[in-house]
Amino acid sequence: MTDKQKILVVEDEEALAFGIEFNLMQEGYSVTIAKDGKEAVELINANTFDLFILDIMLPYLDGFEIAQYIREKDPQIPILILTARTKKEDKIKGLEIGVDDYLTKPFHLEELLLRIQGMLKRKSWYREILTENPEYKFGKNTLNFSTFECSHGNRQFRMTTQEAITMKYFIENKGKIITRKELLENVWKINPDVETRTVDNFIVRLRKLFENDPSEPVYIKSIRSAGYMFSEDKN
Amino acid sequence: MQFSGLYSIFQYDFHRVNIMKRRNSFFFYVVFFVLAQFAWMGLLGLWIYWYVSNYLIFEQVEDKLSPQIIIDSPNVFIFVGGIILIIAIAFWMSVIFKNLSLHIKIARLHDSFIANITHELKSPLSSIQLYLETLTKRNVEPEVQKKFLQIMVKDTNRLNNLISSILEISKYEQKRSLFDFHVYDADETLKQILNETAEHFNLTGESFSVEGELNSKYKADLTTLRILFNNLTDNAVKYSTGKVEIKVQLIQQKKKIIIHFKDSGIGISPAHQKKIFNKFHRIYGKNIPSVKGTGLGLFYAREIIKKHDGTISVTSAGEEKGSLFKIEIPVYSSSRKRFIKELIRSKEKENNKTTHQSEQYDG
Repeated sequence: MTDKQKILVVEDEEALAFGIEFNLMQEGYSVTIAKDGKEAVELINANTFDLFILDIMLPYLDGFEIAQYIREKDPQIPILILTARTKKEDKIKGLEIGVDDYLTKPFHLEELLLRIQGMLKRKSWYREILTENPEYKFGKNTLNFSTFECSHGNRQFRMTTQEAITMKYFIENKGKIITRKELLENVWKINPDVETRTVDNFIVRLRKLFENDPSEPVYIKSIRSAGYMFSEDKN
Repeated sequence: MQFSGLYSIFQYDFHRVNIMKRRNSFFFYVVFFVLAQFAWMGLLGLWIYWYVSNYLIFEQVEDKLSPQIIIDSPNVFIFVGGIILIIAIAFWMSVIFKNLSLHIKIARLHDSFIANITHELKSPLSSIQLYLETLTKRNVEPEVQKKFLQIMVKDTNRLNNLISSILEISKYEQKRSLFDFHVYDADETLKQILNETAEHFNLTGESFSVEGELNSKYKADLTTLRILFNNLTDNAVKYSTGKVEIKVQLIQQKKKIIIHFKDSGIGISPAHQKKIFNKFHRIYGKNIPSVKGTGLGLFYAREIIKKHDGTISVTSAGEEKGSLFKIEIPVYSSSRKRFIKELIRSKEKENNKTTHQSEQYDG
């Protein structure tokens, strides 16, 4: 079958890699295993994949570096980090690089499979929407949600996945107040008990990208004691 | 590219925050140290000023007030004493400072140890959980089932070894680790242990060879020697990029047994050759083929050899040229006196303990 979805699993623990491979194959995916960072990069260069499962602590190149490498090539392919590291900093670092999901070891098989399914579904759904209208304009900004290329006046740059997803969420909920909790749950997909300051810092960054004057935002406004609101009106 | 630039900025931010945190704590100690030195110097200056000015006043009025008082020339003793005191204080401050930086270093090592141990514990645990859940969820063919069970047994052993080694270290730290020394034939026991090790790691033929003959007896604890060779082989396997090739040479000298344990791994740079035996010490880098480990293996190796009154050292011909561990253990005849003394001492201790205990029970 050629329409099987291809998953690359980068895991240096042989036993675990074998178990994941077995289960994913049972689910009908085509699976490739890389046991270190170098091998992963070689495989990424030689093949196309639909999804990546990365461990963090790996020989040669760690999971973050691989994720970054993937993101430079393609801003959209889903990446799931599967790691023993539970630190909040690691999670946030992963999300900022543009990782889509983060699962800690030991994990439940069912949860892993559901998350993979969800990520692949989201990916195809996202593609469908994009083929209709990938570009969005407001003020001096043009955002392309397909290539992630943006411009603010003459300034050209590329968004990260996280930035794109957040902007998309804002645009889709134009004129509505969005709470920090909502952003964490729906966009970051992490437990909202995590410091909401993470969101604030992230918004500061978005404003630097899209606002004419980041210190006086007109598009991404703070709504006191509620959250944020995206609007295109300049008043 | 703007895009990658953006990424690296974020990464840099993270990195910077982490380093800043560490630097801040270290910076605090440095500032504290420098301020303390200024405080002492200031105090000394004030003290000299006060002394000299008082002395001058006193000199001016002494004749008028009480000519019968005879004053010695300025009291050199107090000055010298003061300076010695200051030097002593500065010395102790620097000792404290040195100790502090050592503690900071240990704390950092400990942090990375915790991270490593978490990784090491969770990996086999997740593997076991995954196979158990797979067996519950799916209909697995008996043959595959058997393979799953074998993997689970292997992972359980790995967990067990890891837990024992952590417990061992705490015992060691409380000096309760018990060695069971006996006199053995060196050739027979060492070859047996080496063969077992090779078998344990599935290394056959050229990948594990033992050369040389020994013709002496030695005082040894076979259990810990087994751990030692396990650790060395484990490292050789983990840090080999190509085929594993271990060559062990047994050399008999008059007063000692020399064991050369040579592997085909990536080698150890001279800067790390001594440090590598330190507790929790691990080498990180882009060309290290494995991230597994706790940083305890070679620490144990050295402690075990120390208990055997021997030495262990490592040399490496260069990158990718393997490492050579050189182990020396005294032969029994030369360690006999010491061994007998130790034996008597431990027997005495045991006797004391039992009498003490029986007294307690009697009481």
